[in-house]
Amino acid sequence: MINLKINGLPVSVEEGTTLLEAAKFLGFPIPTLCFMEGLLPYGACRLCVVEIGDGPKAKLVSSCTYRVEPGLNVRTASSRVIKARKMIIELLLATCPQSKVIQDLASAHGVHQQRFRQEHDDCILCGLCVRMCEQQMMAKAIGFQGRGEKRSLGTPFNIKSDTCRLCGGCIYVCPACQLRCTYNQPEKTVCNGCANLTPPCLEKEKFDDMMCYMEPCVACEIKNDKK
Amino acid sequence: MEKLKESAPHKKEKLISNPGLCLTCAWVSTCTFPKDPEKSVLQCEEFESEEFKPETTLKIVEKYTGEQGELISILEEMQAKYGYLPQSALKIVAERTGRSLVDVYGVATFYRSFSLKPRGKHLVSVCLGTACHVRGAPHVAEEFERQLQINREDTTPDKEFTLTTVNCLGACALGPVVVVDGHYFSNVNTVKVNKIIKKVRDGLDKVEVKTDARIFPIDVNCPRCNHSLMDPSYLIDDFPSIRVTMSFENWHGWIRLTSLYGSFKIESEYKIPMGAVANFFCPHCHAELLGSSNCPDCGTKMVPMIVRNGGMMQICSRRGCTGHRLDTNGVNL
Amino acid sequence: MEKIKSIEDFKLLQEMLIFGRDTNIPTLVISAGTCGQASGANDIIRVAKRELINEELTNKINLRITGCQGFCQMEPSILVEPDGTFYPRVNINNMKRIIKAIAQGKVLEDLFFVDPETEKPIAKQNDIPFFKNQVRTILSRNEKVDPIRIYNYIENNGYSSLRKVFEKGDRTWIIEEAKISGLRGRGGAGFPTGLKWEMLANQPNGKGKFLVCNADEGDPGAYMDRSVLEGNPHSIIEGMIIGAYATGANQGVIYVRNEYPLAIKHLIIALRQAHELGVLGENILGTGFSFDIKLVRGAGAFVCGEETALMRSIEGQIGEPHQRPPFPTQKGINGKPTAINNVETWANIPAVIEKGAKDFAKIGTKNSSGTKIFSLVGKVKYTGLVEVPMGITIGEIVNDIGGGSDSNAKIKAVQTGGPSGGCIPAKMFDLPIDYDSLAQAGSIMGSGGMIVMDEHTCMVDVAKYFTNFLKDESCGKCFSCRKGTQRMWEILDDISNGKGTITQLELLDELAQVVKDTTMCGLGQTAPNPVLSTLRYFRDEYVEHINNKRCPAGVCKELITYSINENCTGCQLCIKSCSENAISGKKKERHVIDPAKCIKCGVCKSICKSDAVVVK
Repeated sequence: MINLKINGLPVSVEEGTTLLEAAKFLGFPIPTLCFMEGLLPYGACRLCVVEIGDGPKAKLVSSCTYRVEPGLNVRTASSRVIKARKMIIELLLATCPQSKVIQDLASAHGVHQQRFRQEHDDCILCGLCVRMCEQQMMAKAIGFQGRGEKRSLGTPFNIKSDTCRLCGGCIYVCPACQLRCTYNQPEKTVCNGCANLTPPCLEKEKFDDMMCYMEPCVACEIKNDKK
Repeated sequence: MEKLKESAPHKKEKLISNPGLCLTCAWVSTCTFPKDPEKSVLQCEEFESEEFKPETTLKIVEKYTGEQGELISILEEMQAKYGYLPQSALKIVAERTGRSLVDVYGVATFYRSFSLKPRGKHLVSVCLGTACHVRGAPHVAEEFERQLQINREDTTPDKEFTLTTVNCLGACALGPVVVVDGHYFSNVNTVKVNKIIKKVRDGLDKVEVKTDARIFPIDVNCPRCNHSLMDPSYLIDDFPSIRVTMSFENWHGWIRLTSLYGSFKIESEYKIPMGAVANFFCPHCHAELLGSSNCPDCGTKMVPMIVRNGGMMQICSRRGCTGHRLDTNGVNL
Repeated sequence: MEKIKSIEDFKLLQEMLIFGRDTNIPTLVISAGTCGQASGANDIIRVAKRELINEELTNKINLRITGCQGFCQMEPSILVEPDGTFYPRVNINNMKRIIKAIAQGKVLEDLFFVDPETEKPIAKQNDIPFFKNQVRTILSRNEKVDPIRIYNYIENNGYSSLRKVFEKGDRTWIIEEAKISGLRGRGGAGFPTGLKWEMLANQPNGKGKFLVCNADEGDPGAYMDRSVLEGNPHSIIEGMIIGAYATGANQGVIYVRNEYPLAIKHLIIALRQAHELGVLGENILGTGFSFDIKLVRGAGAFVCGEETALMRSIEGQIGEPHQRPPFPTQKGINGKPTAINNVETWANIPAVIEKGAKDFAKIGTKNSSGTKIFSLVGKVKYTGLVEVPMGITIGEIVNDIGGGSDSNAKIKAVQTGGPSGGCIPAKMFDLPIDYDSLAQAGSIMGSGGMIVMDEHTCMVDVAKYFTNFLKDESCGKCFSCRKGTQRMWEILDDISNGKGTITQLELLDELAQVVKDTTMCGLGQTAPNPVLSTLRYFRDEYVEHINNKRCPAGVCKELITYSINENCTGCQLCIKSCSENAISGKKKERHVIDPAKCIKCGVCKSICKSDAVVVK
């Protein structure tokens, strides 16, 4: 068992646990985008960064890939971390504004502006589809191509794949294509709509057997606030 | 194996059955580069790009032990052979090495050395390193684009030139640097671009044998019996040729080399396959001429001959390889 | 070549070679590294051989062909040993005279190097200011050794350090020596080599350990490693064998970048010769110790210079770095413990063992011992490779060795550390060079590239250039690096085109900080350095671009205009060379450039003989 401190609270976990899992154990919220239970963590989105270490040697690492070490001092919401998260969300909005997942993150973290040249990409290269195809569906039909700015995703030679079994797993896990933000007006790239939306779940007392289709949604937090 | 008639006295015209073929490799079936028969060249400009054939790809893959790390080396060899990575070749590599096609394609697109599109005959690389950038390399790259009328990474419609940029060649003191087919051009500015393109079209290795100071005749002897190996009755490049005996498998006959250091002309009684390694013997004492050094280009053993005024000349024993060494201090290993 | 089967036999061979040398006859040394060959050294060599053979001087003058010496601007150059006469920029038409003079023991004064400051000719290489102010521990070996002859290396004390190490037979002693010498990784991060080796040695043996020589040298503008790879490959092999003996490694890899064909050729020859002689491979020199080195070629990816990406590339995968811990010494190539060191670090090891660690540590500063080779390039009079002790000031390198600016323009800054480094302004040129002081100034030592910039270099353009390089070379995995470098470039592009705003400048700062903080690997973490350091020292240039839409250095295309001043003689040369027909003017009359048609290609400026084209 490894002993470390997260946000000042001591915690004891098994060797091999990641900081993300340890923080979840204690209940500290860390936003993620490219992480999914059942798939090996990749560390591409950099949203889950936390600050470790002390003094001038303190640095930010992605909590989904960093394994616990004895005596570590972890801060999940220091000012450096918050600044970083906000900027990354801004960059995400600048690339893929029509993804509801990204818009919800913007609402949740108080990001109201996007100051870069606007792009409308469908892909943030989080790698969830690649890992789903390889690790869960054992097909390995799609993968990363190219490098740097020109990195992209697709089947080899971008032609129909022989190994793809049309399972739809890649579409299922994709944060950009699973849910589209429908309140996003073309003039504004930042919606913040879901923060204002009154989804049915806020009046759950009236609808006992209703199932929420928008989880995770910021509205759940608003509901708790209202209570 | 064809036996060519030993003709004497030797006249150049008789041997040229097909005027316009490169004299260095006149018997090589793949050489189609038309040249002026009056002018010899320092090195054959035979263009190495072959058509894709599954057997050639398989041959390359089989050379390797199958360790995962060798994927990049396999792709590099294929890139050198074909000039690019054909789709079918990558599929064969994936099958043979057991790597998924996704992985192989990912590697092929990640690294800049590999090209998935066929390249032109001449590869023009403009260095865009920091030192060259500070001295005006972007202007040079743009001028090439203007003169060749293509964008970077593209090939001209006549398939002659491909223009690329590279991020540092390590010749920073001579910046801006442009490399064409392994030839370095230094201190290039926009005015010189036109001249470089013209020089490439004319032929980078062209040389005037009679007037070039770098080409000169040498006289050689056998290192065992010290008998002269020169044959003044048979001229190559207008100078006495060097005659030794060559043997390959069952064939045994004469081979004559030019004595002009800088020309690589050979004529032989028998034509042996390209890439084959032969054995060489002194025609007088019949001792084998086997050197202790390895060819700096291909690693095969070399054929030593003593230079009359001091020094040792060694040539590669592999057909088609122009690797050689001329040591003036005697052989040092 | 006969294989040597014992240390005793090696000693005998070495003694035989050393005593067999004829030191009475002069040696003609011609440097033919890539720079030399590009400048025509091959032709010089051919003509030299012709003269030696025709004049029957082959046993009266030795000919030695070496790799890069470092004085690249003066190549092709000839050095005559033993008296040390130096002939720069040799023309093949002069070769006959030179060889005749050497044979007669004379010198040719009209061909000497002339110091432009004093206008006096200098006969000997070691008197030339460029060489005099260096401490050439490693580069001096390049002069003495023919890289493709192993006997030549042995004759020059080559493999003696290896012999010393075997004779001592104590592995921990080597690690201690490495630690005492204070040698720090020359690749840029400056991690203590002895400590790294200790970490590798402490890993359990049995399953195999790797030693890697990082010869990827991706930094544009840096070519020190190339000169060692081409000029003295055996020093690297010797260093690696010593390192393997110390740490228990059994397999070595040299990872060379594809863009260095001559280095690859020389390494292949050197490895083959080392195998044949018996200093590499199974049962080295009969000691029972086995170690082999494999050559792996890069494929054109700067990110593969980062150690974890390098290991992935050796394994045949894409060069995507991964998180540390686990460190390479714990889990490296194929999961086995691996230590990766730079070419220059390996080349220093034989010197450490030969001199002794304490003497080695005497050069340099307390925390950064030894010498470092820098590639001094850019707007300086003498560009080339310089080897200096740590602690020397930047000003001494740029002025005393480099000779100061190469034109009338004043030197503005030097850029160190390549794309991961930063700029240091001229007012800080009395800063001593070592790992820590450079880091404090906002730059890094890096692999040793040192690019001198003058008033005609636009710092915004420099930041844009590096950011462009990085966004292309980034592996693309981390969102913050891939998008961050792209967006930084977009902002710099706007600024250099006159479309920038002050709020964008603040955004640039913010973004740069986040990219630095959140990216996983060294490339991304240092990617904002060029931007941050130019903002720190040259903020006024940025503001000038934004507020006044003006580029003070005359570089950013959208903000400059080409015009012709009164120096124009009316020769019409520029009119003929302008591809856009943008210049007009009659003979002997001052010409005029039409700004609407001008594409600012710069041809007119290069071709004008009266210096009449003005860029503002």
